[in-house]
Amino acid sequence: MITVAYSDPLVPPEWIRAHGLRPRRLRAASVARSPSASLTGLCPYAGAFADRSAAPDLDAVIFTTACDQMRRVFEIAREAPRPAFLLNVPSTWQTRAVHAHYRSEIERLGRFLESLGGSSPTGEALAAEMLRYDERRRRLRDLAGRLSPRAFARVIARHHETGEVGGEDPGPTAGPGAVPLALVGGPLLLDDLFLFDLVEERGARVVLDGTDTGLRTLPAPYDRRLLGRDPFGQLLASWFGVIPTVHQRPNALLYRWLAERFAETPVKGILLRRYVWCDLWHVEEERLREWTGLPVLALDEGAEGRARERMVQRLEAFLEMLA
Amino acid sequence: MSPRPRRIRLEDWTRRYAELRAAGLSEPSYGGPLERHVLDGDLRLPKLLYDDSPAALRLWNFLLTEEDRLQAARAEGKKLVGAMKDLGTVPVMAWSLPGVVAFYPDGAWWIPCVMELSAGLLAVADRLGVDESFCPVRAMLGAFLTEAHYPIPDLLTCNAGAVCDDFSAIAQRLAGLGHPVLWWESPHRRRPDPGEEAVELPGGFTAPRGHVALVREELARIREALGRLAGLPLTDERLAEGIRAANRVRRVLRELRDLAYTADPCPLPALEMLIAEMLALHFCSDREEALAVLGELLGEVRGRVAEGTGVLDPGAARIFWVNPVADLSAMNLLEDCGGRVCGTDYLFSHALDEIPGDLEPLEALARMAVADPMTGSAADRAERICRDAARFGAEAVLVSRIPGASHCATEGRIIGDAVDRSLGLPVLEIEVPPLIDSVRAGISGRMEALVETVRRRRRA
Repeated sequence: MITVAYSDPLVPPEWIRAHGLRPRRLRAASVARSPSASLTGLCPYAGAFADRSAAPDLDAVIFTTACDQMRRVFEIAREAPRPAFLLNVPSTWQTRAVHAHYRSEIERLGRFLESLGGSSPTGEALAAEMLRYDERRRRLRDLAGRLSPRAFARVIARHHETGEVGGEDPGPTAGPGAVPLALVGGPLLLDDLFLFDLVEERGARVVLDGTDTGLRTLPAPYDRRLLGRDPFGQLLASWFGVIPTVHQRPNALLYRWLAERFAETPVKGILLRRYVWCDLWHVEEERLREWTGLPVLALDEGAEGRARERMVQRLEAFLEMLA
Repeated sequence: MSPRPRRIRLEDWTRRYAELRAAGLSEPSYGGPLERHVLDGDLRLPKLLYDDSPAALRLWNFLLTEEDRLQAARAEGKKLVGAMKDLGTVPVMAWSLPGVVAFYPDGAWWIPCVMELSAGLLAVADRLGVDESFCPVRAMLGAFLTEAHYPIPDLLTCNAGAVCDDFSAIAQRLAGLGHPVLWWESPHRRRPDPGEEAVELPGGFTAPRGHVALVREELARIREALGRLAGLPLTDERLAEGIRAANRVRRVLRELRDLAYTADPCPLPALEMLIAEMLALHFCSDREEALAVLGELLGEVRGRVAEGTGVLDPGAARIFWVNPVADLSAMNLLEDCGGRVCGTDYLFSHALDEIPGDLEPLEALARMAVADPMTGSAADRAERICRDAARFGAEAVLVSRIPGASHCATEGRIIGDAVDRSLGLPVLEIEVPPLIDSVRAGISGRMEALVETVRRRRRA
């Protein structure tokens, strides 16, 4: 089956699946071993994604405009023989015009998928895929409080890769008096899972994963009553202008989501996962500090040598301070 | 024949100004000796080289008194519109209404240079968490917080979507500090797919009809907001007249660029040309005066070309310059190294093209906005750079990286490859910080090498 890779949470995998192709939301394993990631001024995650997307196990790649660096990396990726597609995702969501534009972009993505050998889905086929994904996402949400933070992060990572959910050992429960932390920011690397362990070893626990690869970026559940009538309209309604992202202007949905989560699950500190040259998340660091009044530690990482060691040292010092 | 025009220092301007006054120089209300701006804190001025014409004097005085004009407009009860991340669209609309003045808050990115960091704007941005990993436009945050460089506008608009992340992030920070922003969307411009309805844009590119339609709807929201602000509807008639006025500015600028970038010897320094080009974006807070300033500059250049005189020796290496510089002295430096600017892409080439006058006004403005090089690919930008560089007879291309800017990590290579492939010209990429003093020797050495490469190619 043809595999179509993407990174941005605003690409609906069920749309790819409904065309008879295999969606695969990629995560870079690391930014340290990626040649493009070391380009001066380039977000190392964008560079690492571009490098990863060139691997032979992928047949096509979807980039989006939600991040300017990804938009520009697309130009480099396009030079490779592998088909690449740039999905325009508007930053604003408040007007009918941008909703219509997103709709036209998803339709254009459909034509791209057909050009790869996919087939245009019937309404029934699309609705069936949407229901399948909706059910998996419901199970994901149910698992959120029942698995250890690391185990849950692994479940999400596997879901992104395969679409499946489950099969994870629950992992250790929180120790008594563990300091509750939120982890927010850009996408986690596959190599980042050790962070959860490190946090727990130091007497804290990540009780909220608000990164781009966490629950925050799941679409809204579909309205099943309307699914049979207009599945495509339902797809758009659950994906665009609903998922809180940092690139939205204004990014009020992101802060509303955080406010709701913090009200449900109070935290004593925030870890902000961001990459060097990622302006969109970088600018939120101080704002988060002002808005929450909580200590915020930026887990910033570039592609240069020893960046990870420095990040770990800073995290250890932060946790020591909180303890 | 008039004395040969020269580039002179600020202290030379003091003497020159006295001579001109004695000879009966007539100046506008904002005129006066240039050195007075140093007393206002513009500490960089003594380190720059200036064209010695009265037209250049007027240009500089016009530029350096913008804050006074904005304060006066506010005092007169006019409404101020800050058009952010918008190189030439909303200002055309705002200036179509009586009693409305548009300006360009992003222009604060030159304040750290002009005031040699004494204004502390970058320090304010640092405190807000916007450090040097961002483009120097972060100085704008400081300008808003200190309110020392322009009044807080009555309406703040910002282009969003396919723009640089630096500005998008900084504008979001500003909004988060309590400054309401009216965001308007620009999609990433792409070539129309086969069978997709296409629209021709000013500047020669095409875009999908849907993209233009989206921007047109976005501009309709801006039109409503401007009308509410002014208390008058922004009718098609008013917009059409605003477009005609903007096109008058663009036509003057086009002739100025054609002459200044092609005549040999070079009739006007690169620094004055940079400022002249900037006037087309927002008219420096006075549209009619901007036209008059450019008109006088054009008259000066016409005269020099007719007399065969210029500010540089004949035969200077002809360099096409890509991207605006945060430190104005970089433009002087190229000329000191034996080069001259012949053609530019300061990231607003769409604002130099005439707005189509034969279309419904909002449609014409939308097409111009979609042509913004920032919204398109670097490959598109490179294509236009190659076209313009060939038209102006460039012998090399200099890509000036903007520190921290999200588009600069990858575009230099794409532009360089395109220039090499289609024109076979040498390309130099440099990075220009807000003050180049600490890296001047390095930049100068690289510019000299580029100029030498051009000379060697001439000899070959």
